[in-house]
Amino acid sequence: MHGPDITAYVILAALLFATGALGVMLRRSPLIILLSVEIMLNSANLLLIAFARLHGREDGQVFAISVMAVAASEVVVGLGLIVAMGRRNLDLDVDKLRTLRG
Amino acid sequence: MAAASWTCLLLPLAAALAITLAGTRLSRRAAAYVSTLSTMGAFAAAVVAFAKLLGESPEARTHSTTAWTWLAAGPYHFGLTLLTDQLSIFMMLIVSGVGSLIVAYSVGYMDGEDEERRYFAYMSLFVFSMLLLVQGGNLLLLLAGWGMVGLSSYLLIGFYQERASAIAAAKKAFIMNAFGDATMALALFLLIQHTGQLDYAGVFASAPHGGTVANLIALGLLGGAVAKSAQIPLHTWLPDAMEGPTPVSALIHAATMVTAGVYLIARTHVLFENAHVIQDLAAGLGALTLLMAGLIALVQVDIKRVIAYSTMSQIGYMFVGVGVGAYSSGLFHLMTHAFFKALLFLAAGIAIHAVAGEQDIRKLAGIGKLMPQTKWVFLIGSLALVGIPPFAGFFSKDPIIASTLARGDWFGYLLFAAGIFGALLTGVYAFRLYFIVFTGEPSAFAREHFHAHHGKEGPLSMRWTVGALAVLATIGGFLQFVPFWDPLTKWLDPVVPALVDATNTQEAVASVLAVLVGAAGIATAWLIYGSKQLIAPEPVRLFEQKFYWDELYDRLFYYPTDLFTRGLYAFVEQPIIAGSLTAVAGFFGLGSEELGRAQNGLVRTYALALAGSVAVLAVVFLSVR
Repeated sequence: MHGPDITAYVILAALLFATGALGVMLRRSPLIILLSVEIMLNSANLLLIAFARLHGREDGQVFAISVMAVAASEVVVGLGLIVAMGRRNLDLDVDKLRTLRG
Repeated sequence: MAAASWTCLLLPLAAALAITLAGTRLSRRAAAYVSTLSTMGAFAAAVVAFAKLLGESPEARTHSTTAWTWLAAGPYHFGLTLLTDQLSIFMMLIVSGVGSLIVAYSVGYMDGEDEERRYFAYMSLFVFSMLLLVQGGNLLLLLAGWGMVGLSSYLLIGFYQERASAIAAAKKAFIMNAFGDATMALALFLLIQHTGQLDYAGVFASAPHGGTVANLIALGLLGGAVAKSAQIPLHTWLPDAMEGPTPVSALIHAATMVTAGVYLIARTHVLFENAHVIQDLAAGLGALTLLMAGLIALVQVDIKRVIAYSTMSQIGYMFVGVGVGAYSSGLFHLMTHAFFKALLFLAAGIAIHAVAGEQDIRKLAGIGKLMPQTKWVFLIGSLALVGIPPFAGFFSKDPIIASTLARGDWFGYLLFAAGIFGALLTGVYAFRLYFIVFTGEPSAFAREHFHAHHGKEGPLSMRWTVGALAVLATIGGFLQFVPFWDPLTKWLDPVVPALVDATNTQEAVASVLAVLVGAAGIATAWLIYGSKQLIAPEPVRLFEQKFYWDELYDRLFYYPTDLFTRGLYAFVEQPIIAGSLTAVAGFFGLGSEELGRAQNGLVRTYALALAGSVAVLAVVFLSVR
């Protein structure tokens, strides 16, 4: 087993997740939010693979692949929405999309 | 015997059911004939039963037939029993006989009305109920019939259901009668408690004698009788009941149902004799009613209401009769009254029919010139009512007045004075009505609205029945002429033995006095309303307002109840029940508004809330572990 200790992976994943979460919470462009969500998903994937390696089992890696598939479909839907917004000449700003407020 | 009794009872019921179930498959005319024929059939059956009773010795004339045990509760068994004896056959003949004449009259009177079938179904139901009342072999069946005549009376008073006043009158009659039914039921409970049964013979043999219980039983029965017979203090429904069709007023509110109280007292005379105070009370109430109703009748302007007050007054005489123990005199007056009062109502009905339903005597004035036949039969009815010989009322009213003399104490003399004064009032109000409506020149209204029925005064069915009643009102009294012949008293004696026996002198004094004051009353009415030599006095306000009984009941019962419910509304309904519901609804309304504010549509806020919540949960789970 070579490479850094598991702790390094966990710290990196935590940093990535925090980056993504902050991006979702702070940025207003739907494109960036989508990117941030992808970063969060990939931090989870990193952990899955790291622990799979640590335990010497493959199911974590398999799971990471299925997460990628889900992420890809999610991006398709998200990008589709963003394109639709662009076609209607709407501002790319999630704070202005608040028709559903109570 | 049993077959005849059951036929008499069940034929009208069968007719009511047939008309109801056949619906529109039966033409209106056919429904009328079914009802008429069934009542006539009942009369025929009653005649057959009567003929059989005639052929028996007086002691053997009591027959009872039980179909099955109608009600069994623990040790108590009440059979569906019909009793056929001298008293019930007497009532059966009156109810089905006068009833069939009046139902036959309705064929013409109701012709062309909407819902004729409903009318005739109700009529048949009434005849059945009334027969059940008089034929029932125990007090429970009597009470059942008692309630059912109240129901049919309610249905028929409210027959013109589109008229608000008719509905109000029907409810009033029903509620006042229900009060009487309730006191009667209480009396029956006491009887069951003290004698364990409700069969007439058994109850009479073992009923308590004297004391509070006997008084309470008699008082309860008297309450029922007073309510049904429209005597003070439960009389106010009868004048309003004139909202029903005129034949209904004739059958139910003059000839049969309202006299049921007299039948009840005669039938349960033993219970009343066990409680003398209450029997005296019955006579006293009768005397009060006959005076009060006579005074009110002097000033009424609705032809049917005048006759209605006269009915109350005449039933007052019957109550005086049975109250002093002259049962057969009271019942004899019941019979003649059925004849002449039905005659008066039906003759008035012909007049009302001819002027498109107008009942105000000032507008009907002088209509006698346009309808001479009706005028004559109305005159016969009025003479019979006042008791001028040889018409029926003379033979039956005077023995009642004589029997009050025969009592021989101060109370008897008071009743006597009331009876004589009542005879004077009868003369005045009966002939005030006759002279105003049937003599003199026709009023403009009568001329304008009068329309003859194919050149006659009314349809055939109305004319022949009124004619038959006129004959009965003329000769019906000859059945009995005390002291010369008294077959009715002899006939009824085994069932209702008289308590008092007037001497010949008393009979003569009463008759002469009553006829003289009656004639004086007629003379007064003639001077005022006939020849108009005297100016009519101003109507007394007290009489016009019917002695303020309605207002009294309003003050006593309506206003307190109304006030109470208003109080409940203001202090319970509004603040507590409605208030609590408003508070609950307000809480959820306000709460949802506040919660809704959290949903601001900002995706980033949601994400923050999500992340924050997860963080809090994580901290909680980690720290708890």
